[in-house]
Amino acid sequence: MDVDSDSDISIFDDDNENSRNKTKGKGKTTDKRKKDKGKRKPKDQAYTWEANYTRSWETVQEDEAGSLQGAVEDWIARGRRKRHAHCFQSKNSAPSTAIRRTIIRHLVLIIDLSSSMMDRDMRPTRFGLTLQYAREFILEWFDQNPLGQMGVVGMRAGVGERVAEMSGNPQDVLKALSDRHKLEPTGDPSLQNAIEMARNSMNHLPTHSAREILIIFGSLTTCDPGNIHDTLAECIKNRIQISVVALAAEMKICRELCDKTGGQFGVALNEGHYKDLLFELVPPPAQRTVSRATGPGAPNPAADLMMMGFPTRLPDSSPPSLCVCHSDLRSDGFLCPRCLSKVCDVPTDCDVCGLMIVSSPHLARSYHHLFPVKPYVAITTFDNQSSQPDQQACHACARPFPTTVAQSTAEGMSPIGRYRCPECQQDFCSDCDVYIQNHLHCCPGCGK
Amino acid sequence: MMDTLCVVIDLSVKHWQRSATASDQPLSLPAFLIQLVAFLNAYSAGSSDNALAVFAAFPGKSLMLYSSTDTQPQSTTVSGPNSYPPFQLLDDAVVSSIIHHLESLSDSEQEAPCPLVGALTKALCFINRLTLDHNTNTSNAEGLDPIALPDPRVLILSVSPDITSSYIPIMNSIFSAQKLKVTIDACQLSGPDSVFLQQAAHLTGGSYLYLERRDALLQHLTMTFLPSPSVRGAIAVPTQDKVDFRAACFCHKNIVDIGFVCSVCLSIFCQPVPVCSTCRTKFPMKTLQRLNASRPPAQPRPAPIGTNGVSKANGSSYGTPA
Ligand SMILES: [Zn+2]
Ligand SMILES: [Zn+2]
Ligand SMILES: [Zn+2]
Ligand SMILES: [Zn+2]
Ligand SMILES: [Zn+2]
Ligand SMILES: [Zn+2]
Repeated sequence: MDVDSDSDISIFDDDNENSRNKTKGKGKTTDKRKKDKGKRKPKDQAYTWEANYTRSWETVQEDEAGSLQGAVEDWIARGRRKRHAHCFQSKNSAPSTAIRRTIIRHLVLIIDLSSSMMDRDMRPTRFGLTLQYAREFILEWFDQNPLGQMGVVGMRAGVGERVAEMSGNPQDVLKALSDRHKLEPTGDPSLQNAIEMARNSMNHLPTHSAREILIIFGSLTTCDPGNIHDTLAECIKNRIQISVVALAAEMKICRELCDKTGGQFGVALNEGHYKDLLFELVPPPAQRTVSRATGPGAPNPAADLMMMGFPTRLPDSSPPSLCVCHSDLRSDGFLCPRCLSKVCDVPTDCDVCGLMIVSSPHLARSYHHLFPVKPYVAITTFDNQSSQPDQQACHACARPFPTTVAQSTAEGMSPIGRYRCPECQQDFCSDCDVYIQNHLHCCPGCGK
Repeated sequence: MMDTLCVVIDLSVKHWQRSATASDQPLSLPAFLIQLVAFLNAYSAGSSDNALAVFAAFPGKSLMLYSSTDTQPQSTTVSGPNSYPPFQLLDDAVVSSIIHHLESLSDSEQEAPCPLVGALTKALCFINRLTLDHNTNTSNAEGLDPIALPDPRVLILSVSPDITSSYIPIMNSIFSAQKLKVTIDACQLSGPDSVFLQQAAHLTGGSYLYLERRDALLQHLTMTFLPSPSVRGAIAVPTQDKVDFRAACFCHKNIVDIGFVCSVCLSIFCQPVPVCSTCRTKFPMKTLQRLNASRPPAQPRPAPIGTNGVSKANGSSYGTPA
């Protein structure tokens, strides 16, 4: 196994665990802290060129029997936890009570395609890395926002360029980004032109949907035809939230765009941090309270009750009939529950009765944001419960728990490899903890 | 070719009793277990690389009965001269622990519902563990995206109707199964069709089978669920007739086909409500009036779970609003 490969792995470690502990009992301050996050440079994160050379072989220690097995397993498990650092982090910065999230989202991704994107300070180039991360971002975003829509705008040669139209289908958006030769960076970027283009593609949307712009910005200049502050004022009026991930350094106008519209601003320190900044924007944002004075009970103009129909899907083997959307003769399709007419695909509005038809799994994909699993507690010492005979293996995957105490463990990790559900008091192993909290969203012990 | 199968067995005492005393093709638990064990043996005989785990959903709790990757306690029963020891071990682990657990249940516990979701989530955690081990062994431990196991799958053998309160956990399990590239197969042995299992099979590319001929259980199991998903393209497996995409409302846990959805949190309600009970958002008065006016008078519709006949009739009773 190659132990000495990556020096940047250990960088995120402390930040993650600190925030995991800090957030306990400090729920109120977290929001503020999140906003400040872009400003301060996280003290334990280094710019790429500052990263320390880690002597990973020194951290691996033999156990009493002179075997490295335990140490290596612990090391691997720790690596897995670290990789999910940003997931834990975002979960902790949003207390589990903040369930007001805007789930019907519309996002325009603005990508800098100016010549400064050819810089090689990120491998292979800023442009190459951005395309790769953008693709991952799009997949993850649609996975978590199945009712959302996304468009892509490029900033190149002083103008905004529509790369992908607003679409609810991730494949459409990915296809637009697949040909890198069409996107070859050149010229100067224009923030104003690109933002105006994005704003125009969103101003017809219904009020209850969130409108967001995410700018990936690699330059330190912008050439605008007019006053960008006018554009900013228009965005505030249209309730468009702007977030910026800068690859070079902080620009005053970029920070202002984010601060005034309630978005997030961040400067990427290195490749990993860049990805973290981007992926922090994947989960639906907790809904901004409209105004402090009216309080949470006041009617929210952006909220509405929508009538939706859940269709029945017809199999491929059913007798063909005409669909109401294209008048095509086909076998498969979905039946509108109100008028029983057949449509080709969901989500859509029924062409006959106007009912909004969604398949219930589309809605269900976002429920884990509403009912998160309670974070498991890392058990630090062997207690009564851990000595019971039916608690000797992980309650979920039946992997036996270690019987020895690991010598060096970071905070937030259990030295005996046990993580306990506060509801059902069952113990789980480290891998299951990560899997349950990040993917399964349901405790195997209590089903909550 | 390595293959991973997790079998989830529904052991609801109440519904097995109903199944055993059904006037039409009764199927009792002992008869079921005999055929199940034959199926499990057939699977493990297929290849020595085949990984198998058996999970049981007992009333009120769920646990793993057997896994081929963990060492089993040595069987205490003397095996007959004609038995093959690995099969004997598997049969003992599954059958005797089922008997043991069912006998230790008190009368009141027997009535408790059997949430399949506990056993299903355990099966997924187990597959996740095998996936991680697989990646460590192939020196991909540091890879960001773990390589999925070839063809992992979960087979759910259910007798109970849907438990509507487990709608959200089941959906969450389905989505994480998709991420692990797990196929979920489901077989409803008796009782009404299961809406949730239909959706699970549909969304993960598995097969859902409603057992019409209960005397042919073993044949159905071997013909439909023994071949791994990768070879199913080449054989004719039963396809799903219709997939019901109805959801359970959050207020009464009824299954609804037309719901009222909060735009903030996407909670589903079976009737217009002034305040969302999940996120406490107040809805505009105008919307409520409009929605109430557009609703047909015959409401609310209790729609008993899974009774498809009823739901279809109700679906057509909706008129187009004037
Ligand atoms: Zn059509
Ligand atoms: Zn219709
Ligand atoms: Zn629990
Ligand atoms: Zn585990
Ligand atoms: Zn209801
Ligand atoms: Zn709500």
